Amino acid sequence: MQLFLEQLLNGLAIGAIYAMITLGLALVYGILRILHVAHAAVYTVGAYVGLAIFSSTHSLTLAVLGSMAFCAALGVLIERFVYYPLLKYPPYVPLIGSIACLLAIEELCRLVGGPEILPFPANLPFPSFTVGGILISSTLSAVYGISAGVLLLLWFITTKTELGLAMRATSQDRAIASSMGINSHWVISVTFMIGSAVAAIAGILVGIYYNQVYPTMGAVPAYKTLALIVVGGLGSVPGAVLAAVLLGVGETLLIGYAGIPLPRDALAFIAMIAVLLWRPQGLLGGRR
Amino acid sequence: MSEILLSLREVSMHFGGLKALDRVSFDLVEGEILGLIGPNGAGKTTCFNTVSGVYRPTLGEIRFGGIRTDGLPPHRMAALGIGRTFQIVRPFPDLSVIENVIVAMGLPCYRGLFSSCSSWKGRATRERAMELLAKVGLDSLASQKAGMLPLGNLRRLELARALALKPRLLLLDESFSGLRHEEVSRLEELVRQTRKEGISILLIEHNMRVAMGLSDRLVVLDHGQKLTEGSPEEVRKNPEVIRAYLGKGEGGGSNAA
Amino acid sequence: MSDYSITIGTFIAIQAIVACGLNVIVGYAGQISLGHAAFFGIGAYASALLTTAGGLSFWTALPIVLSITGFIGLVLGLPSLRLKEDFLAITTIGINFIVVSVFLYVPFFGGALGIGGIPRVMLFGERLRGTSFFLLCLGFLAAVLLISRLFTRSWSGLACFALREDEAAASSMGVSPVRFKLVAFVLGTAMAGLGGALYAHYMRFISATDFGFPMSIMFLSMVVVGGMGTLWGPVLGALILGVLPEVFRPLTDYRMFLYAALLLLMIRFQPGGLLGETSVARQIFTRLKGGHGR
Repeated sequence: MQLFLEQLLNGLAIGAIYAMITLGLALVYGILRILHVAHAAVYTVGAYVGLAIFSSTHSLTLAVLGSMAFCAALGVLIERFVYYPLLKYPPYVPLIGSIACLLAIEELCRLVGGPEILPFPANLPFPSFTVGGILISSTLSAVYGISAGVLLLLWFITTKTELGLAMRATSQDRAIASSMGINSHWVISVTFMIGSAVAAIAGILVGIYYNQVYPTMGAVPAYKTLALIVVGGLGSVPGAVLAAVLLGVGETLLIGYAGIPLPRDALAFIAMIAVLLWRPQGLLGGRR
Repeated sequence: MSEILLSLREVSMHFGGLKALDRVSFDLVEGEILGLIGPNGAGKTTCFNTVSGVYRPTLGEIRFGGIRTDGLPPHRMAALGIGRTFQIVRPFPDLSVIENVIVAMGLPCYRGLFSSCSSWKGRATRERAMELLAKVGLDSLASQKAGMLPLGNLRRLELARALALKPRLLLLDESFSGLRHEEVSRLEELVRQTRKEGISILLIEHNMRVAMGLSDRLVVLDHGQKLTEGSPEEVRKNPEVIRAYLGKGEGGGSNAA
Repeated sequence: MSDYSITIGTFIAIQAIVACGLNVIVGYAGQISLGHAAFFGIGAYASALLTTAGGLSFWTALPIVLSITGFIGLVLGLPSLRLKEDFLAITTIGINFIVVSVFLYVPFFGGALGIGGIPRVMLFGERLRGTSFFLLCLGFLAAVLLISRLFTRSWSGLACFALREDEAAASSMGVSPVRFKLVAFVLGTAMAGLGGALYAHYMRFISATDFGFPMSIMFLSMVVVGGMGTLWGPVLGALILGVLPEVFRPLTDYRMFLYAALLLLMIRFQPGGLLGETSVARQIFTRLKGGHGR
């Protein structure tokens, strides 16, 4: 029972991290219908930049803020240089562009940061405590706290602010949103900025959680998150978050607790196909 | 000897709670031009879609040439002898005009294993396609990419493609909308010519002058139900029909935008 | 030709065969397939197993390999007909991952160690290697191109083009979407299987990681860069993307980066492909011909 609960908590943490990575992808897909695979590269860069700033300033706050700013800029750069000009082409064109971007940025990380696994020895200023005999470490509570905070903030932005309204309008119909005075290109760029900044946070969190930063750390989430946005229902951001958490818990329990030797990568896609067979529009996908 | 070619009995189409068609019944006699009219949203295109196989009716029966056809997919309906045009034109944009027509000419070949492996580039095929294009007046544009054509030419291409199927029944879905005056007259002539060749026609038309002028009989739909049917003179004078149109803000002789 | 060039040439020929298969599915029929490498892998493993454990020769195994790959293509193609666009795209990626996982984890396929000791191809009593194997691959490539060309001239091919352009209109003209999408799928996956078989007998050792999603993207890039839906596009794409890493080889450490950057630039500025309608290459070509058109 103890083991089960521990694994459950681990799974929730992993799910929360998946959720933060998938969030950016879901936001971008919602607004541009593009599979932004390069998002995983932004996440990797976030970890590297965060580590670099932390190494020189020893301030985690500066590292996080600096990394968020850098990645927001990177996200917009990708959007403006690669995606926006290719919108009128069939979807596999920006997809190839995205994957080429992912490769190029990963390689840059390797060239600049070196191919070795770098440690990220930071202390997350979160409390650790025991609940019912189970230890919740400071890292774990940091993951819960930060992800909850980010998700809450994003929920607030998308539902309670004008920006959020503009984002939702633009994702429904770009042309009409434009004709109503919304600068849709600006809204798109802001969406990328938000998604990329969240990816930076996720990258830093993962770097500290596993104490590992390396160039190909984005490879695993890159394609898994694709399955997740489908499971959640293409276009549904809450769906993607839900799917991410469920996958994190499911993976950890199945592999870590039940000991079933399932391949981690394929598991996400198997789950995706299973969900699609049962509910073809995804968990929370509705009519668009 | 006039046989009933197409017959609809109590055909209903429900989309969730919305009854797009509600127990519609009518017959089309072989060799006639039957016009399907009604205000916007009356269910005319939905009706077409049930006949051509795009929709499976929720209730009711459709018989074509004596065979029950409701629920059959569009490609089977084409094989049975129904050709159609689309309200919003659907050319094959990257294929040339003549290739667009040749696609339709392949109907007899698509079902067989060996026939579908044979070549479509033969001279006989090309000549027949050119004949069809000449009939609709598009032969000079044969090698142009269909995607570049203006609307008037695209409507004629739709007709050529539907005729290439050698159909028994032709469904014309608002083929006259968006056309200039001369184009309308030319197309009217083409439709009459087509009927002379023995093809029956069911047409949807907002342009009242065209609908009244071409049709032997009319069926009037409103809110998914059949209001009435009869000759153009009968329908024109029917007070219910006038009310249905006026109620939607349209007069008897209006053209659709 | 040097040994080195022959090696590169053989790889390019094999990849061109697979890319031609993808071109049938994506270029001719307009279907999405982001997991094409899975069928490359199925062909490779099938041929490997039939010739090692099964004791068959390459030639006897080949029709079986093509049938197996085509059949699995049919089976996997059927349910994907019900999915639309992005759902379908991601499902094909999923199929790639799952197939690779099957190869990795099911012991029958050799697991992480893969399958080794694959015999060479024998022709008229001769073991084919080096130049002779290269010529064999070229021969198969020529056959694949011929089949592609015949396909575009057949009613089946025309039906696929029509489906690609407008499925609703095509269907109203008697083209059954299910039938012809599957025809394209089976033909395309069988070609990939052929490439896989050649690959297995060339490398003489295969493992699951050769057939993952990155390889699928490679094939897709070849088709797109060369010109989707054209006859020679996939060959040109395979040539360019096969030669590029070698061109950058002297730059060792930077080579992957330059390759990715160049691919990005190509897709950004010539998304229609080099043999595509609006490409720079075509424009230069028509200008050189004095504007006489096609």
